[in-house]
Formats: sequence, C-alpha cells, structure tokens
Amino acid sequence: MSALATRPAPADGPVRRPGHATRRRSVAVGVGALLVATAAGLAALTLGRLGLALPEVAQVLGGGGTRIQRFVVLSDRLPRVAVGALAGLALGVAGALLQSVTRNPLGSPDVIGLGSGAAAGAAAAGLVWPGAVPVPVGALIGAGIAITAVFLGSGRGFASPFRMVVVGIAVGAMALAFVETALARATREDALEVAAWIYGSLAARGWDDVLLVGAAVVLLLPAALALSRPLGLVEMGDESATALGVPPAHVRTAGVVLAVLLTAAAVAVCGPVAFVALTAPQVARRLTRAAGPGLAAAGCTGAALLVVADQVAQRAVPGTPYPVGVVTGALGGAYLAYLLVREWRRASA
Amino acid sequence: MTRWTGATNGTTRGATTGTTTGTATGPAGRAAPLVAERLTLAYDDRVVVHDLTLEVPAGSFTVVIGPNGCGKSTLLRALARTLRPRDGHVLLHGRPIAEQRPKEVARRLALLPQSPVTPEAITVADLVARGRYPHQRVLRPWSTADAAAVGAAMAATEVADLAERPVAELSGGQRQRVWLAMALAQETDLLLLDEPTTYLDIAHAVEVMELLARLHEEGRTLVAVLHDLNQAARYATHLVALRDGRVVAQGPPAEVVTEALVEDVFGLPCRVVPDPETGTPLVVPRRPGPRPAAV
Repeated sequence: MSALATRPAPADGPVRRPGHATRRRSVAVGVGALLVATAAGLAALTLGRLGLALPEVAQVLGGGGTRIQRFVVLSDRLPRVAVGALAGLALGVAGALLQSVTRNPLGSPDVIGLGSGAAAGAAAAGLVWPGAVPVPVGALIGAGIAITAVFLGSGRGFASPFRMVVVGIAVGAMALAFVETALARATREDALEVAAWIYGSLAARGWDDVLLVGAAVVLLLPAALALSRPLGLVEMGDESATALGVPPAHVRTAGVVLAVLLTAAAVAVCGPVAFVALTAPQVARRLTRAAGPGLAAAGCTGAALLVVADQVAQRAVPGTPYPVGVVTGALGGAYLAYLLVREWRRASA
Repeated sequence: MTRWTGATNGTTRGATTGTTTGTATGPAGRAAPLVAERLTLAYDDRVVVHDLTLEVPAGSFTVVIGPNGCGKSTLLRALARTLRPRDGHVLLHGRPIAEQRPKEVARRLALLPQSPVTPEAITVADLVARGRYPHQRVLRPWSTADAAAVGAAMAATEVADLAERPVAELSGGQRQRVWLAMALAQETDLLLLDEPTTYLDIAHAVEVMELLARLHEEGRTLVAVLHDLNQAARYATHLVALRDGRVVAQGPPAEVVTEALVEDVFGLPCRVVPDPETGTPLVVPRRPGPRPAAV
C-alpha cells in the first residue's frame, strides 16, 4: 500500500477505451462470419441442377443472362440465400439477447419453446384459420403466447434458466403437437408448403419473405445494439446495474420483447430452424472471448450458420435436398445435450 | 430477546436521544447529502425496517452495525435505490432519489454490492471502465476524462498492474479492489459499501479498510455496513447501531460503543477497552461463567 501516493497519473497519448483488443477481435469475428456467409451464398448461386459459373452469375446479377438463368438465380436462389442470411442474423441476435437476460446459454428461443410457439402461430394463421391474420402476425402471437407461458410456468420469471428449459420443453412440445394437428387437417398442397414449419426450411422463398425479415432486421437491430451496453451491465447483477444508473427490469423486458419480435420474424419466413439461436451466440463468444452480450458477432455468426447449413442440407445427399432444420437440429441437438449435462452437474453439485 | 436486553434497555435509550439530535448535520454544518426519511422497508410481507429516519453527515465515514437480520444491508439497499421503500423516501441532496434520473443519481452515488457478478472473460481495465457508464452518452462513448478517471481509480486501489488480467483469475482481495475501482471510476462524492470485507482474510480486510479510510480523508462521504464491531469502531467517524430495523444509537464510536450498548444490541456481554493502536473502543467479549474479581 505504500507506493500508492506516488503512482503517476496515466501518461498522455492516444486515449483508448479499455478492451480495445477484445473489440477488434469481435469485429474480426463478425467480418469473418460474413465472409463465410458470402462464400456459402456464392456456392448457393452457382451450384444446383442448373450449374452456373461465377461469371455467369455476375452476368445475371448485372442484368444479363438467359431467361432460365435469370429465373433460377433471381427468383429462386438469391431470395433463398437472402432469407437464410437475414433469418440467421435475426435468430443469432435473438439468442444472444435472451442468453444475456437469463445469464445462461440454455435461455435460447429454441430451447424455451419460443420458436415452436411462433411456428404454431404461423400454422394457425396459414392453415387453421386462413385469412384471419397474416402468417407473420400469427407467428408473433404464437411466440408471445409461448414466452408468456414459459414466464408464468417457471414460477420465477426469467431468474431460473433451468426451470425455463423444463417448462419450455413442455411448451415447445404442445406447440409442435398443434402444428402437426394443423397439418393433418390441411389439404395436401398446403401441407407440403407448411411442413417447413415443423423442421424449418428455406425452400421456395420469395422476395416478399426477404422484405419481411429484412424489414424486421432493419428496424430491430439498431434497437438491440443500443441495448447492448445496458445488457452487459445488467449481467453484473441488479444491484451493480442500478448503481450505474441502468434500470435492470426495464432492460430485461426490452431484451425479451426484441428477442420475441426477431424470433417471430425469422420463424415466419423459414420455420423454427432449430438451434441457430442457441449455438450462434456461443460460437461467437468462444471466438471473440469478449464480455457482454456480443449481439453483432452473434448475428453475423447466425447468418453464416444458417446459410452454410442450408448448403449442407441441400448437397450432403446428392439429389435429395433436406430441410435446413434437419442439419441444424442434428448439430445443435448435440450441443444442447452437452449444455444440459453440464448444467445438471452444476445444479446437483 | 435475551436477558441482557431488559437489564440495560433504559440507560441506552436515554443516552441515544441526546446523541441523535447532536449529529443531525455534519460537523462543518453542511446539509446531509443522504437522508432516509421515515423509511419502511419490506420483502413481500416481512417488514424489516420500520419508520426509520437517518441522516448521513456530510464528509463522514458512516458505518452501520447491528446483529444479523437487523436490516442493515436492507437499509443500505434502500439508500442505493436497489430496493424500493414500502413507505417513506430517501433524499439525495435534498430531493427524493426515486424522482431523479437514474444516470444523474449514478454520478453522485456509487455502490459496492456485497456479491456482484463478474462477467465471464472480462478484464480488470474493462470492468473498471464500466464505472464510467453514467458519464457517457450514446454518441460519445469514451473521452479523455473517462480515461483519466479509470486511471486514477486503478491507481488509488493499486490494480493498475492487473489492468489486462481477467478478473476471474484474481484473488478475493484483488477482486474486491477491482470492484471498488469500478465504483471509484464513477467519480461520486458518496460511496456506499455493503460488507466490503466479509469474504476477505484479516490482512486483506485491513488493506481494504485502510483504503476506505484514505478515500474518506480525500473528502468522500462513505456509508458502509460492517460485521466487525472493532473495524467499525476503528474507522468510522459516525456509527449507527441498528436492532430490529430501528436505530438504537448513533454518534462518534467512542460514545456509541459501550458495554451497555453491545449487550443491548448484540446480546453480547463484553468489556470495552481502548484500542492500543488507535485509542478507539475495542470490544472484548466476556467468557461465560464467574466474573473475574477485578473489572
């Protein structure tokens, strides 16, 4: 304690906010993820039954190419890639928001039944009572009901992630049962289209889907990013956050509402693609090694995950494309099992 | 409570009233920066503090003592606005704290909570920098003033050498100094501390108390909840004794820490002798059994 009074004031020079290296790494991870997404996107534009070379794709994008080339690229492949990237981004950010609010990786939209709830709402709007409300609104209502059920059912709100998971599994199962009932009653034609809502699929996406999820991202992402620092402070406990002038309850509510909206938008265009929201923030966190919610990196990672997974799903078995949700479900399911075992050990220790 | 309480109740209460009125304002006559006015604090249905009024003298090192469950931490939480009072209010510089903007309050009042949560993977400098949040705006997130405040806070708590280390790797004493640095980076003249030495061994506890004493000498007003009576008596300038959510006595340690009061408040028979190091009251618990002949 003796050297205390004599320690010099910090030297003059460029003023850097502490954590500069961490932030640079976060940016690098985000950019890297976007590059991966772009590469996978280019693969999506060139590969397929109608094989195209990159220059041909460039020609089509520049306004040239044959009619068939134009149709395949502009009406089928490009919107599919765009929906995948935007929905992946929305899910990644939604996952990071909820994981920050619950301070636990298990507090993800897909684990607590939010995605399934949105799918049930979409199925209700699309199949059971067609025309009552637009499908995206149905998805939002479904997501809202699911999060409310989880909030009330866990008894302690968002304070106990493990309870949320248990209740969420029940809510998710009921929601999926509803979706299957809706499918059983639907005509065959409808059912094919809506089957995607069980697994999550990017097949046959159009520009109206791009517009919907794109608008949601453009509107909600700035709000989420503005919430990033307060969320980081709330992670230090309610007392610390309050002492720093951040009202924890308001921040948590805002975080949950944004997560619900983003999840609903993503599910409305591609169904409950499993575990992107769970894994994207965790992968991003491992890479950035940063404190705080890491929303931007999680969003970019989510975009990369979904676009890459869609390519794997389409090309893994030649001639037999699978819904993308099958791939993310298989990968994310293994990760979820790992998390649950870890949480279980911690809870019983 | 215990048989000791009844025997000494009357005398303590009498002494208390005189002390209370004498310390309504600080020694320099400045208005109290922090005032609890007729506070009733409760968790759900359990009332912990009932109709409590307390003034924190300007420039004081106020320490709140009392047995477990007496409401001292609850009181501190209300002063730090992390607990909303059932009734009454807390005045910060004369205005109800609940009516002031949260960030504005955070520029005047900092808190070291009892068990803050260390974010995963955060470094010391990064954590201390979070103390600057109340001074920052969305479009101007970092300034030279922020850098200076963080540097000064880390120097004062001697954690500058640890700046790039992850907080999770530090020892308990180091971690407590880092959290204290974060509170100091807020640059408030009021600092509240909830049992800042509870999880520390005696050497680190003394280190933290000496640091707090120095911060007090530099002009800050401190309010701490402490478990250790002797620590409280040694470092406080204004001592507040709480029992069952009520102020039993307050004033300078020499007036408050008496054998009668310790028996009354803690139910502990003891002797109070002058601390050989500082001359402040030192509480020495008695052994049960026959009293020694000469007291």
